[in-house]
Amino acid sequence: MRMTTNQVNSGQLAASFRDPSGFLFSRDGVLYRQVNHKYEHEYMRLMESGLYEKLVKAGLLIPHVEVDQLQALGEAAFKVIQPERVPFISYPYEWSFGQLKDAALGTLSIQRRALKAGMSLKDASAYNIQFVRGKVTLIDTLSFELYKEGQPWVAYRQFCQHFLAPLALMALKDIRLNQLLRVYIDGVPLDLASQLLPGATRFNFGLLTHIHLHAGAQKKYAGEEVRSRGGGTFGRQAMNGLIDSLDATVRKLDWKPGGTEWGNYYDITNYSEAAFEHKKQLVGEWVKQVNPALAWDLGANNGVFSRVVSAAGSFVVSFDIDPAAVEQNYRHAKSEKEANLLPLLLDLTNPSPALGWANRERDSFGLRGPANMVLALAVIHHLAISNNVPLPQLADFFAETGEWLVIEFVPKSDSQVQKLLVSREDVFPNYTRAGFEDAFNKRFNIHSAVDVRESERVLYLMQGK
Amino acid sequence: MHFTPLPYLDPGSGSFLIQLLIAALLGLAVAARASWSKIKGWFGIKTEPKTDEDDDESSE
Repeated sequence: MRMTTNQVNSGQLAASFRDPSGFLFSRDGVLYRQVNHKYEHEYMRLMESGLYEKLVKAGLLIPHVEVDQLQALGEAAFKVIQPERVPFISYPYEWSFGQLKDAALGTLSIQRRALKAGMSLKDASAYNIQFVRGKVTLIDTLSFELYKEGQPWVAYRQFCQHFLAPLALMALKDIRLNQLLRVYIDGVPLDLASQLLPGATRFNFGLLTHIHLHAGAQKKYAGEEVRSRGGGTFGRQAMNGLIDSLDATVRKLDWKPGGTEWGNYYDITNYSEAAFEHKKQLVGEWVKQVNPALAWDLGANNGVFSRVVSAAGSFVVSFDIDPAAVEQNYRHAKSEKEANLLPLLLDLTNPSPALGWANRERDSFGLRGPANMVLALAVIHHLAISNNVPLPQLADFFAETGEWLVIEFVPKSDSQVQKLLVSREDVFPNYTRAGFEDAFNKRFNIHSAVDVRESERVLYLMQGK
Repeated sequence: MHFTPLPYLDPGSGSFLIQLLIAALLGLAVAARASWSKIKGWFGIKTEPKTDEDDDESSE
């Protein structure tokens, strides 16, 4: 997380205000979490019951160390902890179906382990989950409360809104409906999900109860005092049954990345094997030369070139606009247990904005940068021609996004560009190699420009001025 | 009944009540699954652990 605009004066992070148990703050660029006295019992139970150790060992909870309490902000402090830093914070509206599904199952798995240790999750926010070393990881150490048998799950509503509803909509209605999470910061309202889901989902016990009937109950009992109604209790068996039921409902939801926009891209371009290999070789050489800690591959498709970068030891965020490509990329990363590659969904022409209270809870795409190196391979024609962005503005954008830039210029004569121009007027007289270099020279020093073998494309290595 | 202590986020009255309404059903399902695996056990059919937390004690 960048420490510039998303924190209030004391250093407390602007996104960290809801839970009175504690909060995140940063000092000298180091991220800390204050645990307040109010949370003393819960924190001690987490640490002493063995739950913390089990969760950390399974990769499900972010590890932390306790640090000197002198760091604390104010007298409410019981302890100050320093959690391990997450290399890149991502949000559920940037995740593929499989990522959101794994985050949901991870949350339930944490809840099961917590129950065994006499604790329970008091929230089930998708924003508390991050991908760390490729694994679903809870980053909010203060999410646990003491389990009191007889009480329903306090985070049930949040789980259904943040996970179950968007997953069901993505799997059974349209994969693009994950973008509802960008509008509804506390998850998809269940009455909306209930309306949008196909009628047949009422014959699925899990979706019937957790979405349709749940939405109906919310409407019927809105604002009502629970005390006057509830007669029964919610025993441990019922709690286990609830978690099992949510787990089974989520597991049954599936989405296969068919009909991808770019899926067969590498087969249909005028790319020869030699051109492809040459490009890989150049990227590999330049990455070794620059040795970036954090690289962003913009327009990564299924991550072929991202892997050239991650293989060299960099942490790579592998962005693409196509949900199927991101899903394939994630499945590959998961099956190969790749620790330093994070596939994410991103529309470069409309990147993730700053969201939430005062626009400071969720950082925009730009605020989470700049990266040490940006890769923009076979992407410039989509931005300059499909989206009409003038080359100088593209140079500005890339200069703000990363220090080093590996960018591929795709000339008009290329069949991919011809395709984009086939049914429209060519209003891009400056879209030439000379025009491109002219625009980028203003913001970058061009270190290398190499003609890609057996193609008309040029690959550049540039450094921002 | 009420949550004690009161949660810092509103759990939603409807979300609370629907859990109470389906509690018996959920509990029953757990019990049924347990007896079913016991019955299968009599016939020597082993039930695979469904979730990874059952493997907590083994090293990952």
